[in-house]
Amino acid sequence: MSGWNLRLRQVPAMRVDLRGITPSALAELSAAQVEQLPVGHGNELIALAELFDIAPGNEEGVLRLEGNLERFDRIGWQMDAGRIRIEGHAGHYAGGCMRGGELRIEGRAGLLAACEMAGGTIDVKGDVGDFAASTLPGSMDGMRGGTFVVHGNAGERFGDRMRRGTALVHGGAGAFLGSRMVAGTIAVGGNVGAHAGYGMRRGSIVFAEARAALPEGTRPAPTFVPNRAATPVFWALLARDLARHGGLFSDLPMRRIERHLGDLSADGKGELVVCL
Amino acid sequence: MTDSSSVQRNGVVIDATFAEAFPMKATRIVITAHTPEWARHAAVSATGFATSVIACGCEAGIERELGPHETPDGRPGVNVLIFSMSGKELGKQLERRVGQCVLTCPTTAVFAGLPRTAGGDVAALGKNLRFFGDGWQISKVIDGVRYWRVPVMDGEFVAQEDTPVVKAVGGGNLLLLARDTDGALAAAEAAVAAMKRLPNVVMPFPGGVVRSGSKVGSRYANLNASTNDAFCPSLVGLVPHSELASKGGAHAGIGCVMEIVIDGLTEGDVAAAMRVGMQAAIGIGPAGGLLRISAGNYGGKLGPFHFHLHKLLGVGDGP
Repeated sequence: MSGWNLRLRQVPAMRVDLRGITPSALAELSAAQVEQLPVGHGNELIALAELFDIAPGNEEGVLRLEGNLERFDRIGWQMDAGRIRIEGHAGHYAGGCMRGGELRIEGRAGLLAACEMAGGTIDVKGDVGDFAASTLPGSMDGMRGGTFVVHGNAGERFGDRMRRGTALVHGGAGAFLGSRMVAGTIAVGGNVGAHAGYGMRRGSIVFAEARAALPEGTRPAPTFVPNRAATPVFWALLARDLARHGGLFSDLPMRRIERHLGDLSADGKGELVVCL
Repeated sequence: MTDSSSVQRNGVVIDATFAEAFPMKATRIVITAHTPEWARHAAVSATGFATSVIACGCEAGIERELGPHETPDGRPGVNVLIFSMSGKELGKQLERRVGQCVLTCPTTAVFAGLPRTAGGDVAALGKNLRFFGDGWQISKVIDGVRYWRVPVMDGEFVAQEDTPVVKAVGGGNLLLLARDTDGALAAAEAAVAAMKRLPNVVMPFPGGVVRSGSKVGSRYANLNASTNDAFCPSLVGLVPHSELASKGGAHAGIGCVMEIVIDGLTEGDVAAAMRVGMQAAIGIGPAGGLLRISAGNYGGKLGPFHFHLHKLLGVGDGP
């Protein structure tokens, strides 16, 4: 599997659908074949070479994309191996339905990043838009595996219907964080909007910023109950895992927690974990 | 069986014989708790009545105690090794013992203690015990490993989903032939203490020592094992094939025999334990009452692993 470097020539007039442009799909192709790969541009298909300068890369299995790719959607869509590195921003659906490999975005990502992600790792240095780690319209389950790390802030409905995996936001998150969550782990470093854990059935949402009570948005929720039972084992295991990601999460193993169980209107087996 | 090529070390006769061991399936679990005492309570209970597969279903023992820095959850813990004749039986014993002795013990949690290999066998740990939660149990996948969180009255019981099962070796043994009870116990205690310092082995009998060494079969149809009459001092003169009959020298004056049974994760682990055990016992010497070291073999019919005593001590190539 060889690597490829794609340098954006100029920002396209319309949105581009980059699904199918993955390291494993390009691995066995010649330069000429890669240049002729069709990508959606508006309602037509154009050759990849019309948008990018294409050159073989030095790193095995790495697809490097350079430029402002905010109009490029579905980068890493259904990716299952290899690595994609975006040296710029990404459009919508980045890492959507990803099953393996690594997607690294040096800038920010648009809506629905990591939606229905099932495996692998996504690392976004900047912010992500609404519905990250969540579900596609009409689907039952959102993120269902892998690790998703956002170093900036997340929009609304982060982790909606999330079922499995770990999603971290070093910054803050919008309203309805972890809404309708089925399982998995979300950890947030900054402030969050109202209604965190709305309708969550199971799963854990960890608030890493030091505070004495639940975040403002969730405090009035009558469908969560405080729980004082000692859960040192679960917390030791989870905190050690989250601490690997550094930042506000690095000292979690040393901190005490307060748990609130709910959402009682759903299944009541989820938990909001507040780090004191 | 002994022959005239026996050697001596520190005045102790080492028989030219071998310990015969057989293949088993094994796993290691890590039991942690709020304090070392509670981890130990759980481990002692879980390894209770697990001396011999002849009637216990498994052989188990405490391998060693762990400091907080050595356990998955940063609490004090205990490593337990469990051996059984089949993976299925091991799974059954594991479920019963963890369910009755670890789940029930205050503050405990249980984890797999062996590295997972792709495609390797596993036995359920929390996978089935989770149903004790009556629907309130929840799973948590952390770093690719599934744990079950079962609500209990002191908080929650956390158990890893399953634990790897590996091929192992059971039935390594030493027979310590001494002048009297004091001498046999002193040698056995010294040997067990030395063996306990090694990883990957347990001595499943009480205190690591068994006084009822057995032979294969019995004159009674419903028994598959019976007393090792060849090494019973009380039967000298009565049993024609007694190993303690008056051949003179080291055979004379043996009034008490103790056996140490060793189960290990590999053949090398059992061999290493037998070696250090013998060396420790030899250190006791005739002055402490130990006259002779032998081993239990059944003519090669019991199992494929043969631990030749002389070879373990570096005397020639053994028989």
